[in-house]
Amino acid sequence: MMNKNTLLYLGLLIFGLIGAFIFPAYKLQLSFLYILIVLAMTWDVQGGQMGYNTFGNILFFGIGMYVASSTQIAMFFSLAEWTDAGGEKTFVHTIPQFFQGFGVGIILSGIIPMIIAGVIGYGILGLRGHYFAICTLALGIAAGEIAGGIEIIGAGQGMTVPVWPKGFGSNESSSQFLYYLSFALVVVTFITLKWAYSTRFGLVLNAIRDNEDKAEAMGIHTMRYKIIGWMVSAFFVGIAGGLMGHINGYIEPTEIAFAGPTFGVFMVLMAILGGKGTLWGPLVGATVFHLFKEGFWTYFLGWQYVALGVLIVVIVVYFPEGIMGWLREKYPEKFGETIDEADRKAQVELK
Amino acid sequence: MKIRNIIITLVSAIALLISASTVSFAKVVGDKIVLGAAVSLTGKYSSNGVHTQNGYNLAVERINSMGGVTVGGKSYKFEIIYYDDESNSGRAAQLAERLIKQDGVQFMLGPYSSGLTKAMAPVTEKYGIPMVEANGASRSLFTKGYKYLFAVLAPANLYLDVAIDLAVEKNGGKPVKIAMAFEQDAFSQDVRLGIVDAAKRTKSKIIIDDKLPKELNDMAATLSKVKAVKPDVLVVSGHTKGALTAVRQISEMKVDVPMLAMTHCDAAKLSKQHGKASEYALCASQWHKSLSYKDKFFGGGMKYAGDFNAKFGYEPPYQAAESSAALLVFKDAFERANSFDTKKVRDALAATDMQTFYGNIKFAEGGQNVSKPMVLFQVSCNDDGSKCENKVVAPTKWASAELVHPIPSWSKR
Repeated sequence: MMNKNTLLYLGLLIFGLIGAFIFPAYKLQLSFLYILIVLAMTWDVQGGQMGYNTFGNILFFGIGMYVASSTQIAMFFSLAEWTDAGGEKTFVHTIPQFFQGFGVGIILSGIIPMIIAGVIGYGILGLRGHYFAICTLALGIAAGEIAGGIEIIGAGQGMTVPVWPKGFGSNESSSQFLYYLSFALVVVTFITLKWAYSTRFGLVLNAIRDNEDKAEAMGIHTMRYKIIGWMVSAFFVGIAGGLMGHINGYIEPTEIAFAGPTFGVFMVLMAILGGKGTLWGPLVGATVFHLFKEGFWTYFLGWQYVALGVLIVVIVVYFPEGIMGWLREKYPEKFGETIDEADRKAQVELK
Repeated sequence: MKIRNIIITLVSAIALLISASTVSFAKVVGDKIVLGAAVSLTGKYSSNGVHTQNGYNLAVERINSMGGVTVGGKSYKFEIIYYDDESNSGRAAQLAERLIKQDGVQFMLGPYSSGLTKAMAPVTEKYGIPMVEANGASRSLFTKGYKYLFAVLAPANLYLDVAIDLAVEKNGGKPVKIAMAFEQDAFSQDVRLGIVDAAKRTKSKIIIDDKLPKELNDMAATLSKVKAVKPDVLVVSGHTKGALTAVRQISEMKVDVPMLAMTHCDAAKLSKQHGKASEYALCASQWHKSLSYKDKFFGGGMKYAGDFNAKFGYEPPYQAAESSAALLVFKDAFERANSFDTKKVRDALAATDMQTFYGNIKFAEGGQNVSKPMVLFQVSCNDDGSKCENKVVAPTKWASAELVHPIPSWSKR
């Protein structure tokens, strides 16, 4: 059994490492997939493990994106001049400038959203159920509108991200660089969450989901755990946002950064599709979702969202527990679960 | 733990699927020059996206039927690979990458709107793929030092500053009071900057400066303020929806302003949709069919409008005309470069100096077209309002009608 596990991880790792070389033309789609996986996995910390349906994680995605690029620019140039639409200046990062800025930017793109998650979380994680969902939904929308009014980050004009320095490798190195960073982010996120779920922390999150009042009655400071959980998510989502800004090359407040109707909804869908509350579910869900979406985009031009809508209906109707949940129900023994036939029958009779 | 097997199978299935989809390198196949384009077929820019696509298609058809593009003594035909960018800039950037990396496209046409062009430009620039765009007017596109971006249109800050000059002129050379409302997107915000500059230049005062959300459906709040403070000019810009919303609510709320200046009136088919209610609206336009520019493919503006109408069943807005012009520019550049080398084509594009039915085209260092002025037209209706037309009123060189100023108040209309 251990062998099989190792084999799987090794297989995935090798796929990730050589993916950029086997499918050079698909690097962008794969990097994109990695970002989506991170979004789904971190959403699942709240939505799946903790039972708090958040639509607000997109907030951290957008903040991360703006922080990463703004830092990279502001470290060497005047940010206001960079984003000034009427400006006549052209700024070019040198090679060391680009990487220094990139590094600091990406680190900050994790830390700042994390701090914000802590502050906001303190204020709103007391809300439960629909109230929390709606409150977080509003956060994402408000952030997009506010960002669209801040001149220094380009307001409604958006902001261009520093370009890969000329003379350092080729065009390929830029996409390879981002590919490996995205992949590394998936690996780190996965390991962190796998570890976190195996500790008391994971159990507390589950306890909050199953019965928060009881958990509190047992002496658990649920608020503390909820905030920390959200901060962990925000950290990884923020970095994902920072990378996404570079992958896209352009940041737009409501369509790319605080893209509630797309990424904000996708992350929920992916986690539900794969099976929320499981470690592998969001990963599988994101992969399947991304494949379907790209397929629809190619073959159902103009109908892609209709096809996607049908897919969602099918998921909700036929796989309410997601792919992993469905498999688990179908083949429980493969998940290491044993079913006592006699007990099952007894339960059916009770019903 | 067979579940691991399932995941392994899944991963290998994905790998197979990806590798099975072929990568074609299609810049020039046989006698075809393949151009890539992501246009908005769905989403908030879908109507203008379709104008863009129709413009491209009409020009491709026309050029192909008139002998195509001659390079190295051989005749080639244009073909366009389209994708739908859903009016989303994130999607547009990915599609640019996809067109270049997966479809092997070496020459690109622009999407609709400044925001989407801004999203695509860094990608085309990175790969050194020449892009001729016809619908991204924001000035910020031309100050980034892009070498492979060429726009056949005049930059957005020039759209409506003529209107301010006109208002000042009608006010006896005295400064005017300006009320303005702009959608929060790259294009409209740049139009706004143009007005801010014009106000500074003429010492006019901006008394209302509102930002409107995207997906603009309501601007009643701005209009109530306008009613209260009575400006001399009201400027509104927010693509097609902005124009429609503004005219609908101005007529509903009976807002009286001496001058109403907007963008996208023709793309919104304003005079057709709102008839008499849209009368006297002043609109910035890159092109109008009555202008006297000529080329051998479309003849003049009138003929282009006729051909376009015959094929698509509506009058061409300037978005369609400029899109058609982009293809003419590409054809011209290919023939002068006499090569499909992207660098040579790029240099040929940079040296473009030609006249098309749409106007003169000559690119500045930043890639914007500097030899074509904007025109302003005014919607004018016959007495019973059954027929409304757009008539050019400025600049005077092209004017076919006299500007009606001030706009008669609603009580007299």
